Order: sequence, then structure tokens, then C-alpha cells
Amino acid sequence: MILHKAKGVRIDGRKQMSKTAPLHEFLNPRFVYIPLIQQASPLKRIVEVGELVKIGQVVAFREGFGAMPIHASVSGKVTAVKKAWHASGRMVDAIEIENDLLHTPDDAIRPEIDPDAFTKPELIEKMQNAGLSGLGGAGFPTYIKYKTQCAIDVVIINAVECEPYITCDYMLIEQLPEKLLKGLKYFMRAAGANRGVVCYKAYNTGIEAVLKPFLAAYPGITLFPVKDIYPAGWEKYLVQQVTGKSYANLPSEAGAIVDNSATAIVFADAVEKNIPLISRVVTISGEGVRNPQNFLVPIGTPVKDLIQQCGGYAEGLDPAKAYYIAGGPMTGRAILIDELVVNDTLGSVLVFPLPAAKNHPACLGCGQCADVCPVYLAPTEIQRAFESKDVEGVKALNANKCMQCGLCSYVCPSHIEITDFVARAKEFARKGA
Amino acid sequence: MARFANGKAPYLRKADDKAYGTAIIMRDFLIGLLPLILFAWYKNGLQVYLDGNIAFLEMFYPLVFIIVGGLLSTIFEGLFYVITDKQVRTLKALGTKLQTSFAAIPGILLAMILPLYTPIWVLVFGCLFATIIGKMLFGGFGYNIFNPALIGYIAIAFTLTGVINAAGGALNASEILIDGIAGATPLGTLSAASTLNYDALVTPYGSLWNFFLGTIPGALAETSALACLIAYAWFVFRKVIKWYVPLVFVGTVFVLSWGIGLAAGEPGLWFPTYSILSGGLMFGAVFMATEPVTTPRNPLGKIVFALFLGAFTVLFRFVGSLPEGVATAIVFMNIFTMPIDNWTAIIRSDSPIQKKTWLRIAVLAILFLAIAAYGVLKSGSDYATMIVTSPLVRGLF
Repeated sequence: MILHKAKGVRIDGRKQMSKTAPLHEFLNPRFVYIPLIQQASPLKRIVEVGELVKIGQVVAFREGFGAMPIHASVSGKVTAVKKAWHASGRMVDAIEIENDLLHTPDDAIRPEIDPDAFTKPELIEKMQNAGLSGLGGAGFPTYIKYKTQCAIDVVIINAVECEPYITCDYMLIEQLPEKLLKGLKYFMRAAGANRGVVCYKAYNTGIEAVLKPFLAAYPGITLFPVKDIYPAGWEKYLVQQVTGKSYANLPSEAGAIVDNSATAIVFADAVEKNIPLISRVVTISGEGVRNPQNFLVPIGTPVKDLIQQCGGYAEGLDPAKAYYIAGGPMTGRAILIDELVVNDTLGSVLVFPLPAAKNHPACLGCGQCADVCPVYLAPTEIQRAFESKDVEGVKALNANKCMQCGLCSYVCPSHIEITDFVARAKEFARKGA
Repeated sequence: MARFANGKAPYLRKADDKAYGTAIIMRDFLIGLLPLILFAWYKNGLQVYLDGNIAFLEMFYPLVFIIVGGLLSTIFEGLFYVITDKQVRTLKALGTKLQTSFAAIPGILLAMILPLYTPIWVLVFGCLFATIIGKMLFGGFGYNIFNPALIGYIAIAFTLTGVINAAGGALNASEILIDGIAGATPLGTLSAASTLNYDALVTPYGSLWNFFLGTIPGALAETSALACLIAYAWFVFRKVIKWYVPLVFVGTVFVLSWGIGLAAGEPGLWFPTYSILSGGLMFGAVFMATEPVTTPRNPLGKIVFALFLGAFTVLFRFVGSLPEGVATAIVFMNIFTMPIDNWTAIIRSDSPIQKKTWLRIAVLAILFLAIAAYGVLKSGSDYATMIVTSPLVRGLF
């Protein structure tokens, strides 16, 4: 139907750029900077400057909602607590650890003899102790999802990567297909679900090819290709596609839990070897990078080191006329100074030149923004209500449903920052009450 | 360390593409006008010349008339900027301004919907009204509430129709020679008719096929349904308009006209077909009811807008005293664009639908049904050859 059809827009993926080179392990940065913040909550540091730490040693705690430990990603000496640029676009405190290049593991890291024997509460505890958070971008503490009261019937692995340029999940699955299935198996046990689904874009036949040979050994797990549209990787969209059900706030209401594929792979290691979340894959790509590729790096690695590994910025790139983006091109954030460090939610860093300047007219009211909105909002109406400071108006227009996918700004023929208006209106309505 | 540029997500924009953007939409819109302009030239220029009723150079008058309309609007808009905008002091600044304000469009559209023998000074007056009052006083492109071309058209229709008729009116030199037409356009004939009769309404102009092709008397470039359909197909292909808006609008008029026919004891499908093929309905449906600035933005709003447009067109055309209902209906509905947009945006984004929202849906539905029912019954009983409704209902109107 015209009014509520399945939504999405096909966007040029530009994925091939970073797929040509193999996944590059870069485990020896000179320094790492563990950011002392997760989502919006500050972490409590428990190591002092000068202390020696091992890989996997707890260096900080997240407190309150989503309380869990945060671990050192390299072994070495804590040399300072410094400000570092974070993917949120701000400078945050970070623990600087000088890498001794010895890779000394913490005593807690040891293989389990019988990982299949763990019960549901034990697995959930493992998630918490491993400091496992969603690696897809939101960084939501994973164990909270599994502590739900709702009956879970399916665990969905999100390997869709619907944003252009990003290939970190794809490259990691290609490398460790069986680990993904193992992680999913443990997730299913932790959720008490007997169905597991791996979602990926239909054109990514590579994922199907690497997973297929192992599927027979993992009962209950199926593959689920989705359309090549943005935002196909959106949680609500996947749950709707897989279960046919819709929900208001959390996927568990529809009997589903959605986790990123990289999270599942980390979880497999956490269950079998007690390795906490200390590394992740980052895509370094964009027209402004000489040799785009993917890196497996310890958390806290300076992105500068990775760009250097890529051969630096493209020739003739003028930084003042280029974006340096933490995250995807649709929902990421422009970082002004290239001193970013890798944190748990950072899936990609993109550098590309600004588009040529164009003379843009005013809004012509074509309504494309309302047309593409996956949650059926009317962005121009929200903007109007916001500009006249009408709190009730913004609320009546359901602005809180916006998840800032960025499609309205993307399609706007007049280049209006309409996503930003809706985001501000949402914030305004939340505070204004 | 390097400093990079700041910006807002998303960092990829379709509008950065050279082949996409508001300017491209407007270019495609102008291209869509071409079939109508060419047809107008064929019907009111070439054919009349071939009939031997006008001189060779006179043949190009329709084209000149339309171009002059576009030029006048551009000039007025440029003057407005020069006088009111302090930043516009050089030719270059004026050029950039006009580049993003699509100044020629109101004048071109206005010229296309005026009768052929409209004196040029009347066109000047209309363009002045369209551009200055209809567009610039509201803030220029993107901010006008009413369709500028229709503001100009209505200003002329309410004040200068006599002048236009005295100067020759809508009929070209060939049409004036046809006896049966008696100097009137089809809707002019309809408003003078007291019954719905195929022989009286359609036969003088040939058949409904002529209505479809557009070889009937009428405004300069709006008579051909065929040309409008070509433009419609182009617009849908280029995504300039939403395909369902003209369909809903024309469909509503068709159904309601059929209802009028039924109420008047004339159940034939020729009448609703005649109704949608005459006057400016096709033109209005494709070019005016879809005009983005002055119509609702969200899909549901566009549909509601088109539905009401259909109901009001029928009301104004068959019940009101004006022969032409489309222009009035569109301008009238332009007033309600904002509330419709707001209400439908709330309805569309609400799921599950709340009680308050149901109320809004009910108000819209009742309003539509009441207007449609009134239009159908009132005009149906006006044209009735025999009383088909009960005396009580008859008495109400």
C-alpha cells in the first residue's frame, strides 16, 4: 500500500573499496587509549598511572545501568590519563597504556573444558564479565537484553551492514564463520531460544558460502538474506522481516533478541576462552584513504596508526575540504581533528572529500522526506512545529519515533538538514515537558 | 594532526549529485509542459493557418504569448528582488537569486490557462498579480501559500473576463466559424444547460474523442487530455509528482459526476467522462494539484487533498455560478494545505492509532462525505428531468 509499504532506499554501497585487501591484524599499537565512557555513562577507573596491566585485566567499571567491567586491550604500563577524541565527537578521558609488545594475558583468560555445559544464568554472567556490548554501533550492554522477562523465541544475528563503505562485519565473518555460529549457539542458549537467524544482505553471497558448510552442525540456525536497501539493518526492520511481528520499544516484546555478528564472535571467545571484549574490526575506507582496508585492532588503538597502515591519506587530499567520519556515512559523526581512538562502537572511519558546492533552493515541499521515512513521520511538519516552539505539536507528530537514520536528509533535493531538525525537535520535546 | 571539515549526518546526499535536486525537478517540470505547449501551437496556430484563417506569422502567436508570460514573471520577480533585497545589487547576485527561485514558471502556466485572445496588457496584469502577490509577498519560492499562476488567473477571471471576451475570447479563428458552438466552451454550454443531454453538450464539439484529443474550444493550452497524459507519464517516470494525486483527483470528479448523472436520471458513462475531459480538470490535476509548494507534503495528506479537491471541483463547477471549478477549487484548497498536512502527518505516524487520532479521521471523513453528497444531490436535482429523489429531500435544496 502507498501509505505503509516496506520502506527503504537503495544507496550505492561503495563496499568493494575495502573488500579487496584481506583483514589486516594490527595488534601492536605503540599506545592504546581506553576511553572512560560507554554510551553516555562515564566509567570508574581502577588502575593508577604507573601500574602494569595485562591483556584482559579489568581497568575500569561501568556503573549503574549496564554495570560491567572494562578490560585492558594490551599488556604494558599505564602511562597517563589523557583526553582523547571519541566517536561521540567529544574529547573524553582515556587511560593511556604503553604496549610492552609481550601480549601477557591476564590469569582470568583460560580455556573452558566444557563450554557446552554452561547454563543460561552462567552464560549471562559471562556476557557481563566480558564487558560485552553491542559492536554494531549502539553499544548497548548485551547481558541486559538477555535478562528480559519476555519469552524469547529467536536470536537474530545482524550482519546486514546497510550503511555504505562499511565491511567490518563481512570481513570478520569471512575469517571466522564457525565462531559466529558458535557465538549464536551460546546466545540461543542464554536466551532460551531454539531458533537462530543470521541476517545479511542478499548480494553478500560470500557470507552464505562460508557459513553453509557448518550449518549442519548447528541445529536451529538458518540464514536469512534481506533486500539491499537502507536501513535494512535496522533492528525493527529485521525483527519484522524474520518474525512478522512489530514492537514498541524492545525486540524482546516480539520474542526476539538482535545482536551484531561481531558481538557473537566475541561472545564465542568469551565463553570458550574467557577472553573479554578487547578487540574489534574497524573499516578504514573512503575516497580520501590511499588503500582502504579492514583492521582487527585492540580497543583504544589510535586511528592515526591505522591510516598510516593504509598508506596515509589519498594524494592531494585537503583536510579542510574533506570529512573524517567516525561510523557510517549515514549516521556517523564528523570528527574535526584526526586524533580519534577506536572504541567498542566504532565500526568504521571514513575519509572522503566534500562534494562540490551547489546553489540549493528553499524547500519545495516535494514530500520525499515523508515518503522515505521508515517510521512514517512527516519531517517537514516536525520542523515547522519545532520552529514555532510547539512542544505539544512535536509530540503529537510522534517525533520520538525518529531513529535518525538520515534518509530524509539523504533524499532531500534541496539539501536541507532535515534529519538534524527532527533530532533537535525530539530532544526539545523530551526536555520541554 | 589535521583539521577536517564539520558537517551534519548523513554525509552522503543525493542532492550533491549533479543529476538530482530541486533544479532538476523544476527542469523536468518545464519539459513536461512541452507537449501541451506544442499542442496549443498546433491547435491554435498551425491548424488555423492551414485552414487559411490566419496569416503565416500569426501562427506563432500562441508560442509568443506563452514565452511573454514567462518573461514577464521573470522580470517582475527580478524587479522585486532589486527593490526589496539589499543583497541583490549586482547582475550576478540577481542571477544567483533567480537561479534558485524558478521565476518563469508562474507566468508560463498563467499564459497557458488564459484564453487565446487575451490582450497582452491583461497578461501583464495577471503576471504581476501571480508573481508579486501570489509568490513574492509570501517570501518567494517555497513559501507561497497559493498557487501563483492561479492567483493571477483568478484575479483576471473576476475582473477582466469581459475585456477578454470583447477582444476575441477563447475561440480561435477556425472555431469561431463553427455554427453549433455558438461561441461557447463546453463548460460554458453546460452552465447554460438545464438538462444533461449528450446531443446538447457533446455533439456540437464532435465526440468525446475530440475532448480527449483536445480539439475543442477552451483555454490556450489546457484542452488536450492526451497531452496532459503524456506529461503525467513523464512526471511519474521522472518522479516529479506522486502518481496517485491526479488519479485520486480525477477519479473523485469522475465518480461524483456519475453520481450527478444518476441523480439527474442520466446514468450513461458519457457524462462523467465528459466531465473529466472538459475544462481545466486534466491540466489542473497534473500541473496544479501536484504543485509541491502549495499542496501537502506527506502521502496521506496528498490523497486527502486530492479527494477534497475533487469534491470542491464538482461543487464549484456544477453548483456554483462559475463555469470553471478547478482553479477556484485548487486555490480554495490551498488555504487548507497546512492543517491537512498537519492532521494527516499525525494520523500517518500514529500506530497504534489513538483515540484522539480517530477523531481527526472522523472529522475529515464526515466533511468530505458531506461536501460530496451536497454537491451531487444539489446539482443532480438541478439537472433532473424528473424528480428522482423524494419530495422531502428535494425540498431541502
